[in-house]
Amino acid sequence: MNVSTDESAAASFLGRNQFLIYRLFSLSGLVPVGGFLAVHLLTNASILGGAESFQGRVDLIHSLGALLVPVEIALIFLPILFHATVGFMIIAGGLPNVGSYPYAGNIRYTLQRATGMIAFAFIVWHLIHLHWLGAPVRGNALPGFDPHHASSTLAVAMGSMVMNLLYAIGMLSAVYHFANGLWSLGITWGLWTSPAAMRRANWVSVVVGAVLAAAGLGSLIGVRRVDVEAARAMEGRREEMRRMLEGEVPLPSARMMETAVEPRAVESPRTGT
Amino acid sequence: MAQPRVVVVGGGLAGLSATMRLAELGVTVDLLSLVPVKRSHSVCAQGGINSVNALTRQQGDSEWKHFDDTVYGGDFLQHQPPVKEMADWGPRIIDLMDRLGVPFNRTPEGFRDQRRFGGTLYKRTAFAGATTGQQLLYALDEQVRRHEVAGRVTKWEFWDFLAPVLDDTGRCRGAICQDLVSMQFRSFPADAVILASGGCGLVYGRSTMSMVCTGSAISRAYQHGAAYGNGEFIQVHPTAIPGADKLRLMSESARGEGGRVWVPRTPQDPRDPRTIPEAERCYFLEERYPKYKNLVPRDIATREIFDICTTEGLSVEKDRPCVYLDLTHLPRQELDRKLHGILEIYEKFQGVDPRDVPMKIFPAVHYSMGGLWVDYQRSATGGMEEGSPRNHQTSIPGLYAVGECDYQYHGANRLGANSLLSCIFSGLFCASGVIAGSQSSKRTAAEESSRLFDAALRREQDRHEALLGRRGSGDNPYQIHQELGALMTRVATVVRRNEQLSAAYDEVCALEDRWRRCAVSDTGNWTNQNVVFTKSLGDMFPLAKIILIGALQRDECRGAHFKPAFAVPGLQATDEAARRREAEEWCDRFASNTARWLKSTVARPGADGHPQIAYEDVDTSLIPPRPRLYGLVGADLIEEVWRERQQASEARVGGTGVGSGRPLAATS
Amino acid sequence: MIAPNHAADSAPAADEGREIRVRILRQDAPGQESYWERHAVPYEPNMNVISVLQRIAAGARSADGRPVAPVTWDCNCLEEVCGSCTMLINGRTRMACSALVDRLLEEQPEEIELRPMSKFPVVRDLVVDRRRLFRGLERVKAWVPVDDSYDHGPGPRISPEEQEDAYPLSTCMSCGCCLEACPQYTKIEPVRREGETGEAFAERRQGAFDRGFVGAHAVSQAMLFNAHPTGKMIADERLEALTSAGGIQMCGNAQNCVAVCPKAIPLTRSIARAGRAATVWAIKRLFDR
Ligand SMILES: Cc1cc2nc3c(=O)[nH]c(=O)nc-3n(C[C@H](O)[C@H](O)[C@H](O)COP(=O)(O)OP(=O)(O)OC[C@H]3O[C@@H](n4cnc5c(N)ncnc54)[C@H](O)[C@@H]3O)c2cc1C
Ligand code: HEM
Ligand code: SF4
Ligand code: SF4
Ligand code: FES
Repeated sequence: MNVSTDESAAASFLGRNQFLIYRLFSLSGLVPVGGFLAVHLLTNASILGGAESFQGRVDLIHSLGALLVPVEIALIFLPILFHATVGFMIIAGGLPNVGSYPYAGNIRYTLQRATGMIAFAFIVWHLIHLHWLGAPVRGNALPGFDPHHASSTLAVAMGSMVMNLLYAIGMLSAVYHFANGLWSLGITWGLWTSPAAMRRANWVSVVVGAVLAAAGLGSLIGVRRVDVEAARAMEGRREEMRRMLEGEVPLPSARMMETAVEPRAVESPRTGT
Repeated sequence: MAQPRVVVVGGGLAGLSATMRLAELGVTVDLLSLVPVKRSHSVCAQGGINSVNALTRQQGDSEWKHFDDTVYGGDFLQHQPPVKEMADWGPRIIDLMDRLGVPFNRTPEGFRDQRRFGGTLYKRTAFAGATTGQQLLYALDEQVRRHEVAGRVTKWEFWDFLAPVLDDTGRCRGAICQDLVSMQFRSFPADAVILASGGCGLVYGRSTMSMVCTGSAISRAYQHGAAYGNGEFIQVHPTAIPGADKLRLMSESARGEGGRVWVPRTPQDPRDPRTIPEAERCYFLEERYPKYKNLVPRDIATREIFDICTTEGLSVEKDRPCVYLDLTHLPRQELDRKLHGILEIYEKFQGVDPRDVPMKIFPAVHYSMGGLWVDYQRSATGGMEEGSPRNHQTSIPGLYAVGECDYQYHGANRLGANSLLSCIFSGLFCASGVIAGSQSSKRTAAEESSRLFDAALRREQDRHEALLGRRGSGDNPYQIHQELGALMTRVATVVRRNEQLSAAYDEVCALEDRWRRCAVSDTGNWTNQNVVFTKSLGDMFPLAKIILIGALQRDECRGAHFKPAFAVPGLQATDEAARRREAEEWCDRFASNTARWLKSTVARPGADGHPQIAYEDVDTSLIPPRPRLYGLVGADLIEEVWRERQQASEARVGGTGVGSGRPLAATS
Repeated sequence: MIAPNHAADSAPAADEGREIRVRILRQDAPGQESYWERHAVPYEPNMNVISVLQRIAAGARSADGRPVAPVTWDCNCLEEVCGSCTMLINGRTRMACSALVDRLLEEQPEEIELRPMSKFPVVRDLVVDRRRLFRGLERVKAWVPVDDSYDHGPGPRISPEEQEDAYPLSTCMSCGCCLEACPQYTKIEPVRREGETGEAFAERRQGAFDRGFVGAHAVSQAMLFNAHPTGKMIADERLEALTSAGGIQMCGNAQNCVAVCPKAIPLTRSIARAGRAATVWAIKRLFDR
């Protein structure tokens, strides 16, 4: 934080509560934001298991129904916004100097800030691109994401190579940021104090980072493998079934149900290519 | 009467301990220093600090033995009561430093560990790694910082003490000082001024001392009338690393662990030292002192190394005198375990690993036993009377001196690890007397008329302006300093000869003349280090003169002062009776020399700019002087004769006599 | 700082005529423009940056022979224990007294570049005002709170392991390298306003210092004294300081501090320990309220 010689009331508030704010910031990076990131990336990776399994996960999330929006706001958006706001303040107060001191720790410190900012830009874009929040912004200019047609809409939205690259960068940034943040968080809270313990903790973050990076990149590959037509058909059937279950349409015959719950019968990833 | 206000000049061990104690007693202290006090020269001390302790006590040690070692090591040239008091306080001081958090090395059971140092048989030295001075200084710095936060101490760092302010009765009423950043002058009215400004190694150009050890503060006090004691006693340490900027100490422990000193037999042999065969090496200490080898006492090692380079021309390098201190034959692992700290210094500053390549070392000026003459009050038990305003007072009432800048504790030669003790002791001890003294004075400094201070301030300002305004002769103060240092190092260190000393005195006067005419290259009034240096250079000349005159007049050998023309050889005769006769003669000579020369040199500024020398009897009432016979031929016999005489005289007198009063009254 | 000394030792023939070129970033006084000045001094073996500066001060001429005011710098011990001589040498913070010219020329053969520390206000040339650093020690109460300096017997028993843990921390010489290299430690240079009294200005400056990051050295000192048996009696006060504005939370774990510390003090260990202590303390305080 930049220190001025005169204190405004706001600065004085921030000053008095600086420790608390920074610790909440640090904590928010782990839970809920970090936790969400991990769940989100692993969920996405399920697309590697096929459109149907992915749709299943998405449906699970959306089974929250009307609760989903407040939950998203309270546990995801506000924490990210808080973390990002404090994060930007911290970035503004620092003076990166890898040029003069190109040490590993310093490079990681600088990357932590860079990836935080990339992650922020990426998250904003990601929301515009795929989230309902962004629908008004993107309008009809871009194909969005429809949770009831998860794989097919995603596959269409992610159609271009540029988009894949963008997501790869964004996700890897977020993953680096989270993994390195874990290591740093352990020092902040005093979980690892000796140099040896810090080295061991480093391995933990490397593993966490590697798993999440694999999941993130895997989901991109998974999306590229989706046969849009087949997925649409599957999603259509599931959609129909869901409506039926909710009583919007009459109950189906037993045969139809069997087909619906037998994914392999309708989906064959390689047939499309 | 309101609590007194005291100015302390210098924030080394002595200044900080005085400040701590004074603040604790409710005195408001202004603490001045050329550098932030945490950066004072005391940080350089490596070895440790001496005191009797529970362990040595059970081996037969006592405060008295520490006292005796100190006095014997100093060749009896110190008044004994203050030294006794210091030795008595030793254990308490170590305990105190321990409480203040100094990380002394520990035994497995958690007690303070001790090592052995020169000049004693006991493991009397407490130490904190190889940075004991630093650790002690930091502990005191922390306490003073605490008092500063509490508002009892004001630190004035980057300030230069220029002059004491004396009233019409000759009493010190404060000080004039200059801010080294803004170059502004300021007067500090005070009820007492304590100088704790350390040594004066820079008079010798390069030494093992730090860059602020110019002696400027004591020289200025002297120029205002304070007497200076034993100036000619300058300790030269045998082993230091010569550097272009400084001579860095290489501790005695390198030889203690088996290091060997040698030079190639061929002068300036250009070969890599490692390739020079044994037969072509001269291990001169081992050859000349088969019994003590490389561990001969400091002064002897110093003299031998000096001689082999200067008179015998066997220096390793042509332009620079030095000899090899070789550790390469010792196992690396052991070296790392025992000598890591000092080897690192060599490695860092020479860029060479002393485990692979022999070190190049040479003696270096290390410590000034002499300093401002100070008074003391003898107590009933033969120590120093606590609370007496006379203690540590210079010949100017109200002006005190403690630490390396006083002449009180080390006589003609200082024992290793005794200086840190004397600094902390004198600082702590003087406080109560300083308070008593300032309370006994009729007026407080605050009541003193401002005219006194204004006039003193103006004098210093004028001096400063005059210095800035000098139109130069083209001479450069740095050049003059270099010449002064080279001259002093040549004539007034290890070996002293009268012809050289008297010639050097004239040369110093000539240099001083050149200094009067040289101009500063920076005439600005902002952080002008150039003018500050030039000023302190001017203040080195009086000290140089004191050292030279003192050395010139002292026609004997005592401690660090060695004149070959007056050295008394050992016994030469081989037949029993003749030998006995020689020993008797030796003792006669010793007795008459003691009667003639066991006196402190006391210098005062003369009207003509030359020091006026007087001699002061030394209070040796507690331990009668005896010959120092280390390494002398026939030492056993001389000792026997001396002991017999001692016993005879004691039988006559019926015990040790009690010392008379002080010969030098504390008036000015 | 002072007392340059042309060593009596002259350079061996092989180096005759070789010059060391030096580029110094100078500034005449606070608030003034800084400017580069080039100097050249004859090469000698085993020189350090201090001896180069001493020759420059003695010559008081720039490389092109112009008379210039001598360069100003700080130093005292010349053996890397007093912490005075910190500066940016070839862009990196280090001690001028232990920076050997031969090594520097290996690093960068053309010339040696000297700049004042960038995180502290320049007083003049290479001299900076490091009062904020010492203020950091006051903020964390880096001392043992003893009753008095009278005789109360020895200090507490301390095991060799505890001593070995404490000793390295206690060698901190307040040089400020750790602060200079820390990306989280930024310069605070208040300027006295017109009409402001000296005291008012000093107070305002202190306030600003106290809101800024205390820095790795002070965190480490706090941990040193919180581990001492008597020192820990005011451990809470130190933690209070470490968790107030500019406290431990400002550290971003770049770990430059530990990489540049000339005394190789395990600063990141102290920082992590402070983090742990602060965590426990904050939680405890939450429930004790
Ligand atoms: C390399 C080395 C190793 C040593 N090792 C040991 C050892 O192991 N054991 C031991 O007992 N002794 C040792 N000594 C000796 C011992 O370190 C010193 O004698 C002692 O530290 C002196 O302390 P002091 O407080 O008197 O002065 P210093 O520590 O020198 O402090 C002097 C103070 O006075 C200030 N000052 C000076 N002039 C002025 C002025 N004009 N105006 C304002 N302020 C001024 C300075 O800024 C400084 O703060 C060693 C000495 C050296 C050089
Ligand atoms: C993708 C979602 C994010 C996750 C999972 C996340 C997680 C974390 C974690 C765990 C930390 C370590 C905290 C510590 O050291 O105590 C951290 C630090 C940090 N985060 Fe984030 N973060 C995210 C997004 C952001 C964003 C959008 C920004 C804004 C630019 C940001 C800025 C920072 C900064 C600057 C730090 C370093 C703080 C410091 O070391 O002082 N982060 N983050
Ligand atoms: S911790 Fe190291 S770098 Fe920092 S001030 Fe102390 S000694 Fe210097
Ligand atoms: S670890 Fe903390 S204190 Fe050290 S350099 Fe990094 S940010 Fe600064
Ligand atoms: S001069 Fe003391 S550390 Fe460099």
